[in-house]
Amino acid sequence: MKVPMNDFRHRVFSFSRMTAIAGNTFTGLTRLKTFYVLLLFALLLIGSSVFMARMTFQQEFQVLKDIALGAMSIFTSLLAVIATARLLPQDIEDRTAYTVLAKPVSRFEYLAGKLLGVLLLVALSLLAMSALFFAVLLFREQSVLNETSRQMAAAPAEQSAEALRLVRASAFNVNLFSGIAVIYVKGCLLAALTLFVSTFATSTIFTTIVMAFVYFIGHLQPIAREYWLQTNSAGMFTKTFLALVVLLFPDLQSFNLTDDVVAGNAIPTALLLKTIAMGVFYCGFYLALAWTVFFRKEL
Amino acid sequence: MDYPAAPIPAVALTGVTKIFPVPFQRRSVVAVRDLNLAVAVGQIYGLLGPNGSGKSTTLKIILGLVPPTRGQARIFGRDSDRVASRESVGFLPESPYFYKFLTGEETLRFYGKLCGLRGAALKSRVEEMLALVGLTSARTRRLAGYSKGMLQRIGLAQALIQEPSLLVLDEPTAGVDPAGAREIRDLILELKTRGITVLLSSHLLGQVQEICDRVGILANGVLVREGALSELLGVENQTQLLLENAPPNLLEAIDDLAARSGARVIERGRPRTSLEQLFLEATEAAPDESADE
Repeated sequence: MKVPMNDFRHRVFSFSRMTAIAGNTFTGLTRLKTFYVLLLFALLLIGSSVFMARMTFQQEFQVLKDIALGAMSIFTSLLAVIATARLLPQDIEDRTAYTVLAKPVSRFEYLAGKLLGVLLLVALSLLAMSALFFAVLLFREQSVLNETSRQMAAAPAEQSAEALRLVRASAFNVNLFSGIAVIYVKGCLLAALTLFVSTFATSTIFTTIVMAFVYFIGHLQPIAREYWLQTNSAGMFTKTFLALVVLLFPDLQSFNLTDDVVAGNAIPTALLLKTIAMGVFYCGFYLALAWTVFFRKEL
Repeated sequence: MDYPAAPIPAVALTGVTKIFPVPFQRRSVVAVRDLNLAVAVGQIYGLLGPNGSGKSTTLKIILGLVPPTRGQARIFGRDSDRVASRESVGFLPESPYFYKFLTGEETLRFYGKLCGLRGAALKSRVEEMLALVGLTSARTRRLAGYSKGMLQRIGLAQALIQEPSLLVLDEPTAGVDPAGAREIRDLILELKTRGITVLLSSHLLGQVQEICDRVGILANGVLVREGALSELLGVENQTQLLLENAPPNLLEAIDDLAARSGARVIERGRPRTSLEQLFLEATEAAPDESADE
């Protein structure tokens, strides 16, 4: 007779089990047409900025960055929400969750694996968008540099070098990477929050609608926080409502650093680290909340 | 004096009750009521019952997918709410879909990784399972293109990927044609010879009768009958005698003997083949029109 060995030791958390689920989630999402349609739209938008009307090169680079970073931010957020919203309801509806959780897989490993799979997908798509953005920026920079060199052919060498330096400074700066990093962290946060909502939601569409509201409320959260902290005259009901908004919803506005990046303002390292740390904290917090709901969920 | 320890059953349910509250109403539904059940190691145990009798809920409780409202479920002595209890369990749910975007081989690799298999061990186990369920030629095809029977077979393969000691099957032949159902039945019997304990739920009473050692019948969440199949189905005061090529005078002599000893011949006739057997013989003998000439 076949009986399991008594000296068997089960590991409470296994990184390899989690990465197996993450890999499977990633594979599933990359084999979805929706992913490619979304990515194609984002790439078209970023790529089309190369044909924009010719202005002064400073304005042109600013508009190019504005369009590209805006598109990257919106599509990353959209992808994070749409990709995550369908994971749990579909697994439960198709009963694939039964087959996974009937294996020696904890519910935390299952949730963390799903989230990790989405984060990989978001990273990959953001990488593709960034590559195209930098290619477009480089192409436009070269065009402007060539044009400037031609125009400054008769000018003194120092004046010409200064003009070229100005062009380069307007095109590339290190803050672009900071802006992209913050866009990614915001995408991670939204994915974790969507995962939490989907643990108690009954369908993908419900999760997506809730997330649309959360997205807008999250951008208004700092206003609510300021009002909550400063107002003493508000009634009990208003204070409670504001407290709930402040405590339950993430401050998405603090992840909007792209305006500064586009304007060419430097993002202080401390602010960047604080924003990333806040994003990581929110991710962990929502994953923990998702686990507490999913742990006792009857499948 | 030391007594040998009682063998630990593969599955043990003690006083298990499951109550589901009905959302937005003050009432609740009792899916399983005070269920006591033990499946011995090496047995094939059939859980029977009509739709809504609590079979699937019972299996989910055993697998830790649903917590019982009261009582305790254990697998090889381990609480089934512990993840560790599932190290040695394979499960095939009713009408499983699996991940349609994966191929048959990828599916087995994924479930193997979840069970801690890696490298060469995983590769050889995947090969072995594909061969066992007869899907080696369909290994690179995505599950979206699999038939119902093929899905059921790949489901069985994933359930067996880590060489479990206990196999839990929820309606393993639901929606499968008779030939496929027979293959699954034969596979279950083969697994028994390897020492694997099988717990299955089914509507197909004929099949359960053929393969199970012991059955439990659930009705409205209550275990109304339970025991070894031979005990439950045997009629104590009757004996069946099956003869081949018996001449009429022998039959008459048997009748006389029975009458003289005070016994009574209740029924005499030709045994009939089962409809399933007839179907299999007819379909297997039919020429394959689709074959190349």
